[in-house]
Amino acid sequence: MKILVVEDNERVARFVTRGLREAGHTVEHAGNGRDGLFLAASEPHDVIVMDRMLPGDIDGLAIIEALRKAGNRTPILILSALNDVDERIRGLRGGGDDYLTKPFAFGELLARLDALARRSVDRGAERTLQVADLRMDLLSRRVTRGSRALALQPREFKLLEYLMRHANQVVTRTMLLEAVWDYNFDPQTNVVDVHISKLRQKIELDSEPALLRTVRNAGYMMCDHE
Amino acid sequence: MNRFIRSSAVSWALGYVLLGLAALVAFAVPLWYAWNVTIFAGREEILRNDAQRLTDVFAHEGVAGLTAHINARVGMQIAGERTLLLTDANYRRLAGNLAAWPQGIPETPGGHAVMADLAGQPTHTLLVQTTLAGGYHLLVGRSLSLFLPLERRFTWGLLAAVTLLSVAGAAGAILLRRRLLARVERIRQTVSAIMQGDLRQRLPAARSGDEFDTLSRTLNGMLDHIEFLIHGISNVSNSIAHDLRTPLAELRSRLEELVLTRPPPAETFAEIDAAVSDVDRVMRIFNALLRLAEIDSGARRSGFVRVDAAAVAAEVVEFYEPAAEQKGVVFSFQADGEAAVAGDPVLLAQAVSNLIDNSLKSVSAPGAISVRVGRRADGAVEIAVADDGPGIADVDKPRAAERFFRGDASRGSPGVGLGLSIVEAVAKLHGGVLQLLDNHPGLLAQMVLPLSARTGR
Repeated sequence: MKILVVEDNERVARFVTRGLREAGHTVEHAGNGRDGLFLAASEPHDVIVMDRMLPGDIDGLAIIEALRKAGNRTPILILSALNDVDERIRGLRGGGDDYLTKPFAFGELLARLDALARRSVDRGAERTLQVADLRMDLLSRRVTRGSRALALQPREFKLLEYLMRHANQVVTRTMLLEAVWDYNFDPQTNVVDVHISKLRQKIELDSEPALLRTVRNAGYMMCDHE
Repeated sequence: MNRFIRSSAVSWALGYVLLGLAALVAFAVPLWYAWNVTIFAGREEILRNDAQRLTDVFAHEGVAGLTAHINARVGMQIAGERTLLLTDANYRRLAGNLAAWPQGIPETPGGHAVMADLAGQPTHTLLVQTTLAGGYHLLVGRSLSLFLPLERRFTWGLLAAVTLLSVAGAAGAILLRRRLLARVERIRQTVSAIMQGDLRQRLPAARSGDEFDTLSRTLNGMLDHIEFLIHGISNVSNSIAHDLRTPLAELRSRLEELVLTRPPPAETFAEIDAAVSDVDRVMRIFNALLRLAEIDSGARRSGFVRVDAAAVAAEVVEFYEPAAEQKGVVFSFQADGEAAVAGDPVLLAQAVSNLIDNSLKSVSAPGAISVRVGRRADGAVEIAVADDGPGIADVDKPRAAERFFRGDASRGSPGVGLGLSIVEAVAKLHGGVLQLLDNHPGLLAQMVLPLSARTGR
């Protein structure tokens, strides 16, 4: 993926660009709003990481608004030290596609960027999702593993759908909380893990190969290969 | 002097003095005018009639008759009441009580106010002169000196009033200024003492209930509130410092140990992972504090919508069900129909989630947690989470929702001690309260949310 990082803090920028390059992406970096707007407008990118507060006269939100006005639909993840809900809403309403609060775990950033880039590629309305021999019919809401039909609760269905839509990508607990339950607070107990292990029991019998992996220090990943 | 004038007490007093003077002038000028009209116009009319009567006598009886008539009248009347003089064409006196034709009377007929020589002394006199047939001159007049004492009294009275008003006004201004300054100065001294950090100072407020006392009492109320808030902030700051110190100390010692011992890479990475967890813990505390600050500011109230508290609680219960199941705890949910409130669905969910979280942490299998949403008789919505765990000791209940407070029972369990603070803040934001009761055994935590959220601070 070709990623543009607009971030004025040198240390954060170095941390992010190095990490993204190690993950195999092509990264461009702009240290201020003017360069950021210029780079974003002049070259196509798969996804943009935009700091909310930038020095100088153009801040992150203004760049996003300018890009959107010009018809640029590149997915944008907003990085911000501002954590309140109003700021998050303002960022997303202003044209951002996701919002991550500083400080963040690099795994969280990577997972969200993957999800954003994927979302922009296949936004088509699929009727079925498939990972290995696990099939989900979105219309009839039937889920099968091989020839075995699975009985899922509505919330388990939603959880599995999200994981399958992001197959072969890391999905963090926070992403699941936001997407499946619509909660933007952290429960103190490991509730998400318990939901995952329950789901895992249903989709993976002992005899079957594992599909849903736990990625240490990051989250989960649905894999269609061993 | 300049400062004296600028004092608001003085300018008010001076303003009132000027207003009083203006009122006096407004009173005196028309009176003076009316007085003059009466004297000159009224008196002149009478004199004219008198002159006409004398002219009639002259017409019927000739010069001799008129002379006799005038002499008779002068002999009868009280001296000085009426001035009469008849002269020939050359102004030689024929009859009357004036020694000679007075100087300074214009030729024209009609009334004139002049200084006439009456009985040897100049007197302010109103005179009407008539020229009779044959060139005879007739003068009829009346001394105005009779009114002089009255005019003088009027003038003196006016002056006295003006003086009294000015002196009293100036004295009032000085006294008022001194009195106001004294009280303002007391307030100023107290306020500057407070500004220098002595927040326990209060403004003097007597029981008299005048405007200053009302002001002082209002300001004292404000100071009480500020002191309470500052006390709260310093408490919270102390707690934050204390509670952040622990994970930061761990982090520091972990990193320092790494530097000192330089363990093999595998061990180093494990330690770095642990260090990242320490940082995450600090971040969790920060996020919880920021969330609390956000709720406390009341800004979230602008996003209130109609929320079914029962539906929100049902979702949170469903969210926690697997976790309770895994722990071997019986989890039950009961709702008496819809429980609509004006509120923030995400915050309400977080509050319910925190309560369930607390219960899950304290209950040990085989325990029970029950969540109930219902309406009270007064229409308030009640969200209750009850468990049969160790509960909160009665002595700790009033403080359980304080920031970073951790009862003895929960000291060993994970968490940062802000869960109940957030629940209480959410309840307050919705105009409600958080009640912590005994479930015999266990804890019964109730959020009571009134129908209208407008009452909360």
